[in-house]
Amino acid sequence: MKRPLRWNLILVAVLLLLVALIALPFWFVLTGSIKAPAEIIAREPTLVPQSFTLEHYVKLLAASDYPLYMMNSLIVASVSTVLTLALAIPAGYAFFRMSFRGRETLYRAILLAYAFPSIVILIPLFGIFAKLGLVDSRVALVLVNVAFSLPFAIWLLRSFFAGIPTEIEEAARLDGGAPFTVLRRIMIPLAAPGIAAVAVFAFVTAWTEYVFASVMILSDAKRTVPVGFSGIIGQYQIDWGLLLAGASLSILPVVILFAFVGRWFVAGLTEGAVK
Amino acid sequence: MMTYRKHYLLATIASATLLPFAAAAQTELTLWHMEQPPHRVERVQMLLDEFNASHPEIQVRQEPQNWGEVYAKAPAALAAGIGPDLLFAIPDFTPVLKDMGALSNISDFVAELDEAHDFIPSAVEAYSYDDGVWAVPLYNMSMNLWYRPSVLEAAGIAVPQTWDDWQAAAAALTGDGSYGMGLPANKQLYTDQTVYSVMVNGDAAEIYNADGTLRFDNPQTVEAYRFYNDMLQYSPPDAPSWTWGEAEACFASQACGMIMQFSVISTYETQAGGDADDLGVAPIPSQSGDEHNAIAYANAVMLLSRDEEKTEASKTFVRWLLQPENYGRFLNMEPGLFMPVTADGAEAESFWSDPIVEKYRSQIETVIDNSQNGMLFGFTSGRVFPAIGAISAQNVLAETLQTVAISGVDPAQAVADGQTRMQQLTE
Amino acid sequence: MKSPKNILPFAFIAPAILFLSALLIWPLVQAVILSLQDVRSVGTSGSWVGLANYRKLLTSPMFWDSAWLSLVWVLTNAVLQTLLALGAALALNQSFPGVRIARTWIVLTWIIPTVVVVMIWRWLFSTSGGIVIPVLMQTGVIDQPVGFFAQPNMAFATLVFINSWRWFPFITLMMLAGLTRIPRDLYEAARIDGAGAWKRFTRITWPLLAPTLGVLLVIGTLLSFNVFDIIWLLTAGGPAGGSRTLPVLIYETAFKSYRMSEAAAIAVMATLFLMAFAVIATRWLARPPEAR
Repeated sequence: MKRPLRWNLILVAVLLLLVALIALPFWFVLTGSIKAPAEIIAREPTLVPQSFTLEHYVKLLAASDYPLYMMNSLIVASVSTVLTLALAIPAGYAFFRMSFRGRETLYRAILLAYAFPSIVILIPLFGIFAKLGLVDSRVALVLVNVAFSLPFAIWLLRSFFAGIPTEIEEAARLDGGAPFTVLRRIMIPLAAPGIAAVAVFAFVTAWTEYVFASVMILSDAKRTVPVGFSGIIGQYQIDWGLLLAGASLSILPVVILFAFVGRWFVAGLTEGAVK
Repeated sequence: MMTYRKHYLLATIASATLLPFAAAAQTELTLWHMEQPPHRVERVQMLLDEFNASHPEIQVRQEPQNWGEVYAKAPAALAAGIGPDLLFAIPDFTPVLKDMGALSNISDFVAELDEAHDFIPSAVEAYSYDDGVWAVPLYNMSMNLWYRPSVLEAAGIAVPQTWDDWQAAAAALTGDGSYGMGLPANKQLYTDQTVYSVMVNGDAAEIYNADGTLRFDNPQTVEAYRFYNDMLQYSPPDAPSWTWGEAEACFASQACGMIMQFSVISTYETQAGGDADDLGVAPIPSQSGDEHNAIAYANAVMLLSRDEEKTEASKTFVRWLLQPENYGRFLNMEPGLFMPVTADGAEAESFWSDPIVEKYRSQIETVIDNSQNGMLFGFTSGRVFPAIGAISAQNVLAETLQTVAISGVDPAQAVADGQTRMQQLTE
Repeated sequence: MKSPKNILPFAFIAPAILFLSALLIWPLVQAVILSLQDVRSVGTSGSWVGLANYRKLLTSPMFWDSAWLSLVWVLTNAVLQTLLALGAALALNQSFPGVRIARTWIVLTWIIPTVVVVMIWRWLFSTSGGIVIPVLMQTGVIDQPVGFFAQPNMAFATLVFINSWRWFPFITLMMLAGLTRIPRDLYEAARIDGAGAWKRFTRITWPLLAPTLGVLLVIGTLLSFNVFDIIWLLTAGGPAGGSRTLPVLIYETAFKSYRMSEAAAIAVMATLFLMAFAVIATRWLARPPEAR
């Protein structure tokens, strides 16, 4: 389909605006992290670095447990993702492929959980976790992250499960498949794009979470990237170089991950999410 | 750059694996502090390693925390019985922990240390109330006025002594993208400190009357706020969101002619060329120019363990830390920022022999002189009332400044409102 | 005797329900209990005071200011995010070289930690090394440096911008989902009938996208209400209370004023507000698709 020139110009303008809005800040962060300290805080910022140094990265890696924070974040986010899927897939399957009494009510209850002001439970949850000996453990973070991503995850699976033709499921069932087998063999593969989207959502939710991690984790060795990062922000002096290096490094893993799964995530969301 | 973290991890692993075979009596202590910048953590770790090596029966571990989080975290962790055994913190924090019943009276221990090292009285005073001493003073910080002699000279002005001088100097240094006096107006601890530093130099140091009623709302306080608000016109437009770091960056990049700060030495050294001759430090100007005061924090270590054995081990550690040969190196985790609170610490070879301290010796001597007149709001003249914990946690001094500077309320009204707010927080 | 068929759905749902009950509902119950007491700092105990905390709240200007700010926060975020996302989604729904890459990487702002988002913008907006102020000055938008967090309204607007910057790409993708669902031949037919671009948008795109927008508005509202870290780390609710939304007020009351029980009461009130909104909103969301 051909677009008139006028529309092409508008399209280009919108796209340029998007690039300026999204790519440019990242460009400044990444290039800033290799500029010399004086150039970082110069009154006339430079688009292209005039100096090159790795000192901020050297300092970051020598002086903080950044690789350790990264490992913690990866563990917490991965386990959170798996657990979210393990809970959301069966629930989604039951909600959207089975009929039972109270389905509507329960589904609404789950959606209400999604409307939960998370800060509300910070205080009581700390007390509960303390009693269970879970404070200062990564398990606590996993539990919290799953609680926050689960309602949305179930909702997201809705149209994927609903979109699968009944005949396929019926056929599988007639062939003698137990419901669990049907779910595993037929439904999960068919809903794969949706499941991928849910997985990325859960991962990102856990990867970016700050408030609970900052309060629940006491020891340095168990900090996640956001908490470790807020630690190097420093309160008395701001070392912008160190911060930009820290920011660049904390962007990196998700960017790498996203380079592999990003397409599925986007496809997953756009193919089914909203009906 | 030392890779002390790796040593630390190795040590932890080693102690974890060796522990069952080592003497079962080893006492493990957890130390929390808010000195999070990497080089400070590194220095603390160096000292801990030494201590742990020389005291095989005790193992001290540090867990640096963030000021932004610790107000929520420390009480919660202590209530849950998983808090630290030792905590370095400021006087404001002590009443909060004491209210929880987490602290016990350690006046005997402090007296013993005083005997040995001779504490600056005001440092102990900040932790003495309700018939007890609740923490061991450890390091002093006091606010100063920092400038560049060459810049003042070029503008043909002298180091300001009075408020009038100060305002004239700030005006002279403002223009063409530079600002005479970098002052914060954020609702944050730094602003509490700068506001109070102006207050103490305008005869408004006392927030409480002797009987514990508030006397914040008085003409001197109003005058101090009025002056501070006037000075804000010589500060960069983003000052309402400043914390310490932005002020230092402003000074380092020469955008700010003067700033109020505890110490700018390490930023100046690393980010502004580090010409020791062109770094000036002076007492904060006072209204009349006669006597200069400053806000000062005697940081202290709080002993939080309920366990007899751990408390003893904690005391052993504190005794060791205050030994002159260790104490100076401890203070120099941030050269020029942490001042000794003991007489023998002020003379310690370990303090003065640090290369940065040697380089900026004259500035550091001035800082120590200035700190003699240090005061802290809510802890003056022995009038200490635990409610100050909530008042400073809520940054009421800074909040009041915002009412003046941002909402444009008349200083008299704002200060009156500030006192009402303090009252509410006290109830 | 129940047939397994009736038990099975519950067996599938039970883990999720139990999990959410333990992690969300039970702490909420605890918060309600706390709100009826007079506990001050964490870990101290208090006595029962009935509804005193609620009574105090209802007459507290700070609470109502905060509730109002939360409402404004949610609305402005919803509007800005929807507009940005709509523009981006319409553009990304076209075909042009690199569209796949653009569609994938637009969510870059959403996949990085909020703490990093905060730091990036604090730096970009700062007067020491930030790029925003020089650019605005060179283009003549402003003639002298401004403090983006210096005035309450400005700070609020800046926070809305930063939060929307983080979330709008996510909303964009959800909108794209709605757009790709609109059959192409509808446009072709309209074109043959001689409908202009604007007409095609108002007659086809808009009506067919509207349900999606409705859903996204609800989601956006719920997501932005809960935003705490961005506000707290950038302005801590300031300046002069200009960005003290309900989550900020809750945190501040609990951990700065040491009024646990009052904080719990605010939290319970906030939950009620949000639930009321959600109950109404879920009338859209909760329709199970073609229930069978």
